[in-house]
Amino acid sequence: MRNVMTVFKREYAAYFNSPIAYIFIIAFLVLNSGLFMTGFFLNGTADLRAFFGNLPFFLIFFIPAVSMRLWAEDKRTGTFELLMTLPMPARDVMLGKYLAALAFYLVALAGTLPLVIMVAVLGNPDMGAIWSGYIGSILLGALYLGIGTFTSGLTRDQISAVILGIMACFLVFILGVGGVAATIDGWLPGLGSFLQNYVGLSGHYDMMLRGVVALGDLAYFLGLTALFLTLNTLWLEGRKY
Amino acid sequence: MIEVQGITKSFGTTLALDDVSFRIDKGEILGFLGPNGAGKSTTMKIITTFLAPDAGTVKVDGIDVLEQPLAVRGRIGYLPENVPLYPDMNVEEYLSFVGQARGLDGARLKERLDWCVEACGLVTEFKKPIGDLSKGYKQRTGLAQALIHDPDILILDEPTSGLDPLQILGIRELIKSLAGQKTIIFSTHILQEVGPVTDRVVIINEGGIIADGHLDELARDAMGDDRVILAVRNAPGSVEEALRGVPGVTAVKVLASPGLDSTGTSRFEIRGPFDQDLIGQLDRLCKEHGWELTELREAMFSLEDTFIELTRRSLGHGRKEVA
Repeated sequence: MRNVMTVFKREYAAYFNSPIAYIFIIAFLVLNSGLFMTGFFLNGTADLRAFFGNLPFFLIFFIPAVSMRLWAEDKRTGTFELLMTLPMPARDVMLGKYLAALAFYLVALAGTLPLVIMVAVLGNPDMGAIWSGYIGSILLGALYLGIGTFTSGLTRDQISAVILGIMACFLVFILGVGGVAATIDGWLPGLGSFLQNYVGLSGHYDMMLRGVVALGDLAYFLGLTALFLTLNTLWLEGRKY
Repeated sequence: MIEVQGITKSFGTTLALDDVSFRIDKGEILGFLGPNGAGKSTTMKIITTFLAPDAGTVKVDGIDVLEQPLAVRGRIGYLPENVPLYPDMNVEEYLSFVGQARGLDGARLKERLDWCVEACGLVTEFKKPIGDLSKGYKQRTGLAQALIHDPDILILDEPTSGLDPLQILGIRELIKSLAGQKTIIFSTHILQEVGPVTDRVVIINEGGIIADGHLDELARDAMGDDRVILAVRNAPGSVEEALRGVPGVTAVKVLASPGLDSTGTSRFEIRGPFDQDLIGQLDRLCKEHGWELTELREAMFSLEDTFIELTRRSLGHGRKEVA
């Protein structure tokens, strides 16, 4: 835990040591709030469904950009060699980095809390659905970050890392879409629905938008995130052979 | 302290290390020499557990690098060739980070920080962002990082590369000051850097060890036979003949004759086996004949000559392509 904290502190500070962090957060807030507010007065409902509904697609681009530097930067500058010769398991370094990126995402997400105050003032929203929406967004970000951390570990080039990350997140996103699942089922019956349930995220995420936090959906997010983080660690440890 | 046993490593089809073995005892300083691309860095990466060998074993303090990599890492301070720095941190933050990651905290961390900063001459740069430091200070910060946990073993990959002569001298002094307390391997492709720091060297070329020993032994080995330089002034023409008559002398080369040299000096290079005490014999010969001796010395190979000769000899025994 001490190891994880040490790496976490360094990585978290690294985000805020450069202006990129602020640009990221501002872009995140402006784009998300902007998208949300465009439809808000037309819909005329005091809830955040539209905001949470945009996130799975929006974060496909935002999250890999947050995680791209995690390993790729270290590999490019040579600090990777320092990290991998510290007397701590690769898993601890990985967790420190991952949690730092997650904390950064949470800071950005916290910037959307004024929207909650706004809808609470303007109407009488279902607060349960809002909080479960936030739980869903956190889990969604955690999953995408797991994917992005993994793809960042594959390369020393941040641009490659971000593109691979976007593609992988998009895959997880698109597999959950009903039409896509149906098409795959057309090729190989059962496969599409299987992927939709176990890999695709929409079904699990949408439940949370509706205010339902079920154990199965939690298991989906946490399990898939853990899978990518484990792959990342295995890749780091296998690298030296 | 460190035992490298028959390690082999290939990257793709290139054999980077082929059956490399050597050992270093506690408190020794080892100069690891070889041209660029010879396999120095790969060997160091394997000792520090960054890479795993395809075959062979490395033991640090009796601990196998593959079995207990974390225990090995804890004992080693490592400066990779590509100095691992975070340009966004300042020197203090960076060294604290590495110190904490290596298990130091509180008063002990503070004490080690102070020591490293003092020893590596970073006092004035302590609060500066690493990105703003000069090449020399960056290198020193890298060295301080390797020393922060007071390791018993130091692995320094090209610690003086890119530094100016004065900075090189500083790093050299630092390494020398650690002699005896720490076991040190430092690599370089600049031969002159080894002599002032240590006389124990391992020379690697094309993935294979071509020499392991002390500098003077290696020089003798490379020379093959003893070479003595003799100069006499105003000597008769029969000197060369007399030199050839000395027991054990196998060859006499005239380096300068009185006709060419305005001081009237003749210089010769005399070769013979090492066990014949050529110098003593030649000294007696000059006294017997009453020649005016102006120079009598052993012509040792310089490290460059040694290196070139040993490298030349090893040609064809080096790197092979893997099928």
